[in-house]
Amino acid sequence: MKRRSFTSWGTAGLVALCSAVGVSLGAVVRFLTPSVFYEPPQSFKIGNPADFSFGPPTFLAEEKIFVFRDREKGFAVASAVCTHLGCTVGYFQDDQRFHCPCHGSVFAADGAVEHGPAPRPLVWFEVTAARDGQLKVDKDHVVPATYRLMV
Amino acid sequence: MTSLRDVWRSIVRRDPLSTDKGKSELVFLNLWLHIHPAKVKRENFKLKHTFYLGFITFYLFLILVTTGVALMFYYRPDAPQSYQDMKDLQFVVYLGSFLRNMHRWSAHGMVICVFLHMCRVFYTGSYKPPRQFNWVIGVFLFLLTLGLSFTGYLLPWDQLAFWAITVGSNIGGYAPVVGARLKELLLGGHAVGESALLRFYVLHVAVLPSIVILLTMVHFWRVRKDGGLSRPVWKLKPAAAGPLVRIGASAPAEVALRVMPASQDKTYGLMEVVTGKPIFETVTAEEEEDTVFSYPYAFFREAIALMATVTSVMAVSLFWQAPLEELANPAKTPNPAKAPWYFLGLQELVSHSALLGGVVVPALAVIGLLAIPYLDTNPSRRPADRKWAIRAFTLFVVVNVVLIIIGTLFRGPGWALVPPWVHVTGAE
Repeated sequence: MKRRSFTSWGTAGLVALCSAVGVSLGAVVRFLTPSVFYEPPQSFKIGNPADFSFGPPTFLAEEKIFVFRDREKGFAVASAVCTHLGCTVGYFQDDQRFHCPCHGSVFAADGAVEHGPAPRPLVWFEVTAARDGQLKVDKDHVVPATYRLMV
Repeated sequence: MTSLRDVWRSIVRRDPLSTDKGKSELVFLNLWLHIHPAKVKRENFKLKHTFYLGFITFYLFLILVTTGVALMFYYRPDAPQSYQDMKDLQFVVYLGSFLRNMHRWSAHGMVICVFLHMCRVFYTGSYKPPRQFNWVIGVFLFLLTLGLSFTGYLLPWDQLAFWAITVGSNIGGYAPVVGARLKELLLGGHAVGESALLRFYVLHVAVLPSIVILLTMVHFWRVRKDGGLSRPVWKLKPAAAGPLVRIGASAPAEVALRVMPASQDKTYGLMEVVTGKPIFETVTAEEEEDTVFSYPYAFFREAIALMATVTSVMAVSLFWQAPLEELANPAKTPNPAKAPWYFLGLQELVSHSALLGGVVVPALAVIGLLAIPYLDTNPSRRPADRKWAIRAFTLFVVVNVVLIIIGTLFRGPGWALVPPWVHVTGAE
């Protein structure tokens, strides 16, 4: 075999080998990525406005959200998932703050970080009125803490 | 018709163990024993040289494989059925809770022993040439042990499992660029759920144990090739200088060979002359006197260590139950929610800063551990010559232990500092 043909065949072989390995690795990563997530929907109805009381927020455990209802300002929905490591925060009426049980993060009533390791404020989700009059929360739509829905 | 005796001879083909040839053949004709040399240095098996920590770690791994396979007969990786299976193992299956206890306590024991083994190797300088890369393999085995513990932690699907893994996987999510993707691949979703349980199960019973077995084989093989178990070479007497023989005419680079007295028990033949220094430690003639046949000297000691390990795990499992809390409830975070104890140092760091404590510091620690044999170029293994290395490593160990103790015992509801003797009520 001539040196030139050895080099070109060798290069071709090496390129083929590398691409085969690359494609296989890509296929493995894609295989491990689920095509469908069998998880609760991101957008869901939470009930009629009348179901929610004024005063302390209602905690919906399944959805991990707090529903705030204010007489003047209306409805707002906050995420109960701590922005630090994903524990579920609790709302304490006596000091009107969210406390995370895992690492002691404290959030103000508007979700701002007051204390602890949480890097970001709690997230607020868009809440709208569905056609049937129920409240609808969309976790894919993050809104500012000032967002309110008047009903 | 073949006699029974001949059948036996077809299985066990070595000479009787009363002969030296039989003792050697027991080792090198046997697949399971041939990782041993036929003869070992008596010195290597002294308890205080290694505390048998490597052996104990390996034996704990054997217990984990055995009890783990037993548990698999009654366990389904399917939430919330898994939790029912755990309850069955605890109250219905014959010996179920005992086997689960053994599995749980050996897992904790293995994490401890791997760590102590690593400390022993460091303090005796056993990672120094030619064993640098074996230290690296050892660090990977340590990480795999943590990975096995972590994946196993989720399987009971109780509150402890669910929240420890939620916290743990979110720490991984902080890794820059790849973090979120890595978390999604590991969990098969965006939060700990059914797909995460199945993935952790497959990693725990198939993927990680296979890698551990492969690396352990390499680890043992290299120990053997590098001269056997480590020992304090700095305490050995320097070899007596024998007369020198010169080979070759008078070339400048000629090699001087030391003449050693021939052993009476050995037949010598000139097989091949190779130049260059062997990479591994060799037995000199002085040390030859200290060697004994592996059978029974080494095997007896290893068997004692095995029996002591199994007995201890069984004794602990008789008296202490592995914890099982209530069914996992994603809506209710226990207060405080704690990761497995060996990750509580990490959680303590994370409670101050997630990115720095959860990603940067642990990554630097792992890279630092891997690089130790290549950073430390001091050839001496004598402790007196390596004061700074020993101080630095001791600091690393102490910081780790202190952080774990704080995280385990001194952190109460809301991660507030609470001493262990104070009982906090009404935390929920």
